[in-house]
Amino acid sequence: MDYFIYLAQLSGIFIILAVSLNLINGICGQFSLGHAGFWAVGAYTGAAFTVFLDLPVPGFVNLFLSCGVSFIAAALAGLLIGVPCLRLRGDYLAIATLGFGEIIRIVIMNMDSVGGPRGFTDIPKLANIGWVYLWVVIIIVFVSNLLRGSHGRAIISIREDEIAAESMGIYTFKYKTLAFVIGAGFAGVAGTLYAHTQEFISPMGFTFMWSVIILLMIILGGLGSITGSVVGAIILTLLPEFLRFFGQTVSEWRMVIYSLLLISLMLARPGGIFGKHEFNVLKFLGIGKKEEANS
Amino acid sequence: MSSPILKIDSITMRFGGLVAVNRFSMELGSKDLVGVIGPNGAGKTTIFNMVTGHYEPTEGTVYLSGKNINGLRPAFITQSGIARTFQNIRLFKDLTVLDNIRLAAHYTVEYGLLANIFRTKKYHAEEKRVHDEAMELLKIFGLEDKKYHLAKNLPYGQQRRLEIARALATKPKVLLLDEPAAGMNPKETKDLTELIRWVRDKFQIAVLLIEHDMKLVMEVCERIYVVDHGELIAQGAPKDIQSNPKVIEAYLGTSETEETGPTPGEA
Amino acid sequence: MDENLTFFFYDLVTYLLNGLTQGSIYALIALGYTMVYGIIKLINFAHGEFYMIGAFIGYFSITSGMPFLIALPLAMFGAGIIAVIVEKIVYRPIRHAGRIPALITALGTSLFFQYFGQQTIGADPKAFPQAIAVKTYQFGEIYISNIQLIIFGSTFLLMVFLWWLVGHTKIGKAMRATSFDKNAAELMGINTDRIISFTFFVGSAFAGAAGVLVGLYYNTVEPMMGLIPGLKAFVAAVLGGIGIIPGAVLGGLVLGVAENLVVGFWVSTYRDAIAFGILIIILLFKPAGLLGVNRKEKV
Repeated sequence: MDYFIYLAQLSGIFIILAVSLNLINGICGQFSLGHAGFWAVGAYTGAAFTVFLDLPVPGFVNLFLSCGVSFIAAALAGLLIGVPCLRLRGDYLAIATLGFGEIIRIVIMNMDSVGGPRGFTDIPKLANIGWVYLWVVIIIVFVSNLLRGSHGRAIISIREDEIAAESMGIYTFKYKTLAFVIGAGFAGVAGTLYAHTQEFISPMGFTFMWSVIILLMIILGGLGSITGSVVGAIILTLLPEFLRFFGQTVSEWRMVIYSLLLISLMLARPGGIFGKHEFNVLKFLGIGKKEEANS
Repeated sequence: MSSPILKIDSITMRFGGLVAVNRFSMELGSKDLVGVIGPNGAGKTTIFNMVTGHYEPTEGTVYLSGKNINGLRPAFITQSGIARTFQNIRLFKDLTVLDNIRLAAHYTVEYGLLANIFRTKKYHAEEKRVHDEAMELLKIFGLEDKKYHLAKNLPYGQQRRLEIARALATKPKVLLLDEPAAGMNPKETKDLTELIRWVRDKFQIAVLLIEHDMKLVMEVCERIYVVDHGELIAQGAPKDIQSNPKVIEAYLGTSETEETGPTPGEA
Repeated sequence: MDENLTFFFYDLVTYLLNGLTQGSIYALIALGYTMVYGIIKLINFAHGEFYMIGAFIGYFSITSGMPFLIALPLAMFGAGIIAVIVEKIVYRPIRHAGRIPALITALGTSLFFQYFGQQTIGADPKAFPQAIAVKTYQFGEIYISNIQLIIFGSTFLLMVFLWWLVGHTKIGKAMRATSFDKNAAELMGINTDRIISFTFFVGSAFAGAAGVLVGLYYNTVEPMMGLIPGLKAFVAAVLGGIGIIPGAVLGGLVLGVAENLVVGFWVSTYRDAIAFGILIIILLFKPAGLLGVNRKEKV
């Protein structure tokens, strides 16, 4: 039972990561391959905050404070990286963010105070499923409300046609940076939740591979769809566990299966499972029109 | 002419060794309807791109209401009052007609990010204003019943209209139309002619258009500038332009060097 | 001369030589990156994997008793053929879906080969057989091995070959035409699909050669060996100006030397950060690369 709760908790953390990356990649259309870097910044900042500061407050307060601190730290990292990089487009941006993600990891590897290559140990287990899903709700409400307003529309317009957006008086650089910084910040929150779930983090846990896996989650679900990110995150968190039921062999081959899945998904449905669509309960029940007319 | 709303002062654009536009100047009064014509590759769109900030002129200056706007980002130029359409329509194809218009009003929205997230009172009030203004504009352009259609699903002529409506939603003082009649049939071109004149009268703005379709330009413009090889070769009223030998040469590419051909003002 | 200065000089030359060796390898891989990018505008993330495949073909053929001079062309041929198959099955169908799906597919292909290799060959490094006995030549305090000389020599020969192929043959002309304007080339009767396959073949064969040479130089091969050199070769290609063949060579050499100087005179743990640091600086300040020309985006 504990194991299932743990998996649910892990899924929640990956939902936060996927939705936050989706804001950057899917909704704003800025192809980032450095999300694991922001995740790492958040994880290490959060862990350092609780371990080194050790504030005399109840655990959950400490966790919440560390979430705030990690958000700010990762968002700042996002700002530092985003401002120079977001002038680049398409695959060049992807490569630059990949480079920064790796640099972040290499810098952490060289920081002895947080364990360097050995990893950061003895982090208190402050996160539980409730706190994780509270943050899941926060990010989903945050992003979907954002998309219902003018700022969100401005972010979407960049994905649609950056030159046209700029011509319509939208300062695209500002909104690209905004999406990037918010996305990075939430990845930071996911980091601190992860650190306080696992009790141990190491630089090897935040490699470029993880940026790819988070990307895979949002592509699986459909770039731009929040529902898709949630589903994609859950599927890819549980898939390795699920593969275990098929025995040792299948489980060992899971990365091969992952990669084949990724390739065949791209060949069959380059837009992902959900495309850009959202699963809307109201629409599903046939009363969606009303909602739309009021928005 | 009173003081011009848009003044282009001898702008030059060089791409490497290629001079795309050479010392082009023009002035536009606040309610003028002016055309820029010229053969393919004459540098017309480059002039637009310099005015709207997509390119920064290598030399020369663009003034809007007397203010130098060189080097401003396109977004800020739009915000200060120049809107444009594109030669190859650049709508937000996968967004609704309504969203296309609402995006153009984005910079006028007065609530901040947090108000957006928490959906405050101000957010609702502003969203209503933007929505209503957008609907009003769509009604004028006969697109109100298509507001939830995706832009890419509109027929071609309506896409052109939507692009003009979207440009107007930015509340411009000067509207730049880049080959608005491209790809239109004669009937659509005729409607467009009416529309352009009507837009100028209704919104009381200056309109500058680049066009290939001579008929449209001759019919609608009050003044015409002719560019060839990046140089201004003639300017004046449509009638004078029509009979200007330099213009005829640029268009028909005659190699004859009859400098003393039929005179202007004959017709 | 001051004794410290002498040592500094010897160190410097040694690091430079090591850097050039490393850089030759990067250059060989970068050539394929640049050729493929030049022709279909795809960042072929899986390119490093062809280098790994080449290394393993070399490993197996030398272990089974083949001489180096046969193993090297065999590895090149094998890596090239596998690349052509990958291009046919995976990249060709995705080519029209846009650049980002293509990029993701390339990532997937890269992961596939890495993990497939781990599962079939084993994740642990294998000792590459010493096909050629190492000899070290000494000049004062400067050492250079025959392996290094072989790497320089092979790299040089391969580059001359490529220069001839692209610049002075009919198929080279077709490659240039395809990369300049695919549709126009098609209209001129060039079978662009075949040219693209051929480009993959040549580029990956070069990566395969790099794989064998690295096996010879460092004496180990493993399934994950393509990841970092692949990324760095990409950096080299961008550094020189992606799509430009001499740029890839220049970029590879500069990167190899820069890394070895930093590792030699400063700290080795930041080795991998150098490449990414250079990449970012280039992207931000001269995105077209050292030999490239900046172009404005058409509105």
